[in-house]
Amino acid sequence: MDFGQAFFGIAWIDAIIRVVIVVLVMTIVVVYLTYGERKVVARFQQRLGPTKTGRAGLLQGFADALKLVSKEDLRPRNADRWVFEFAPFMTFIPVFTILIVLPFAADWGVRNLALGVFFVFAILGLNIVGIMMAGLGSGNKYALLGGVRAAAQMISYEIPLVLALLAVVIVARGEIDGVQINGTLNLQELILLQETRPFILIQPLAFVIFFMAMLSELHRAPFDIPVAESEIVGGYFVEYSGIRWSMFQLSEYASLWAFSIFGSVVFLGGWEFPMGSDWGWGWQLFLTGVKSLLFIFLVMWVRATVPRLRIDQLMNFCWKVLIEVSFLLIIVNGVFVLYDWPEEILALVNWGATVLFLGILYYRGVRRAKTSDYVGTYRQEEMSLA
Amino acid sequence: MATEVLWWLFAAVMVASAIGVVAARSIIHSAIFLIISLGVVGAMYLFLTVEFLALVQFLIYGGAVTVLILLALMLTRMATGDERMIVNGPQAPFGFLVAGVLAVILVGVAFGTSWRGDVDDLPANISIHQVSEVMFMNFGAPFIFVAVLLLVALVGAIILARQEDAE
Repeated sequence: MDFGQAFFGIAWIDAIIRVVIVVLVMTIVVVYLTYGERKVVARFQQRLGPTKTGRAGLLQGFADALKLVSKEDLRPRNADRWVFEFAPFMTFIPVFTILIVLPFAADWGVRNLALGVFFVFAILGLNIVGIMMAGLGSGNKYALLGGVRAAAQMISYEIPLVLALLAVVIVARGEIDGVQINGTLNLQELILLQETRPFILIQPLAFVIFFMAMLSELHRAPFDIPVAESEIVGGYFVEYSGIRWSMFQLSEYASLWAFSIFGSVVFLGGWEFPMGSDWGWGWQLFLTGVKSLLFIFLVMWVRATVPRLRIDQLMNFCWKVLIEVSFLLIIVNGVFVLYDWPEEILALVNWGATVLFLGILYYRGVRRAKTSDYVGTYRQEEMSLA
Repeated sequence: MATEVLWWLFAAVMVASAIGVVAARSIIHSAIFLIISLGVVGAMYLFLTVEFLALVQFLIYGGAVTVLILLALMLTRMATGDERMIVNGPQAPFGFLVAGVLAVILVGVAFGTSWRGDVDDLPANISIHQVSEVMFMNFGAPFIFVAVLLLVALVGAIILARQEDAE
């Protein structure tokens, strides 16, 4: 489909129309993600969630958006004016840019870049700049602390995220239309290579690492340390209100959506698996939607059930566990590709490693959970006094 | 034609924000001007159709180097109040001298060298396969040496930082 056709075949008009459609869809998706998150979390906590606005609260998101837009746009007196005011835009623009490469159906992305995967994580890295600008420009120590935490966390977790994706890219091999492909960064080609099996079946460990790093990049529980309400009153956007605050929210949910589609493209087979090219674009859009909703639901599920980590636990987990495991994964995949060993054995090795990895994590968690012999500091003092 | 106009526009933005880095009175503004400047360089790579280099520029300079600068600022500055730090001292003339000499050398080298595969007005789109071929096959050994050098520098930095901690 070429929208430029109607306008004398100008290529950039086609691009602009596609971008506008994607952004409109994104806005509506974000409004319903806020509603969905409140409903899902409410269900986990045995509440009802929003019920009043519209049928079953379906219009709640729009009501909230209206309220936020009409609120006053405050700026603290000792904030750095330009840094403070441009920070929300700097967080939003990278997220918006990522939407350009995401493939929603066979011929339905804005543009199909040869370096799609690389594009996504190169642009995502710029997201940190806006958060740090918010932290530095607010003139507030909680905002500064939140910014420092966010920056440290996002720089660290970007490494395992990228390595896990590269591990998949290395083993993405196969034939498309008779052309042999050995590893590709093109998102459409990655999807086409998953016609018979999604990559999660041969790279489950990469999926686990990707999912953990993704939670951290999105500041989702249990890694929501930069925006921890009980510790630093909301983090880097504590001084924002009205439309600028809602831009931070918008970019947060938009990146959740973008990450979910990206993850479903790389690991779950995007619009192709199963039967994507045979059953037409309706089924393809349905597959993309269902798979990304699955991702989003998983993120909300984790958020509703797992308590927040401490900052040192978070950093240790990244630098001492995730990075090593993902390097090991890349080395193993490289050996398999170099000697051209069959994919089934690779999958088997990977499943074994995944079970081992999660088993060790679970064992450590269960072992640490035993606190019956520990006595808190104040209890010790009490007992020594007695 | 349109690309050329945009290219010069971006070049102007780059130079302006580079001047901003030096002239800004607050060090945070300097850091942000630096980000803009480096980001615009990446955009100019896009106009030259070297997407890979552009994305590397965004990833390394936009997402990592400048973020480290901002992080250092955050860890060392007071949280509130905008104190104006004078970063341009009496060394400014020497700075201009060094920058001028460097600019002359770079421009001279860029125009004086006969680049291999140089074509006017028609930038070649280099695919990532060619880049990786050259980097890991033709220049495999230098690549590994640079990697080891970086690792040594990293370990050295950690050792230096730790020593101070132990005292």
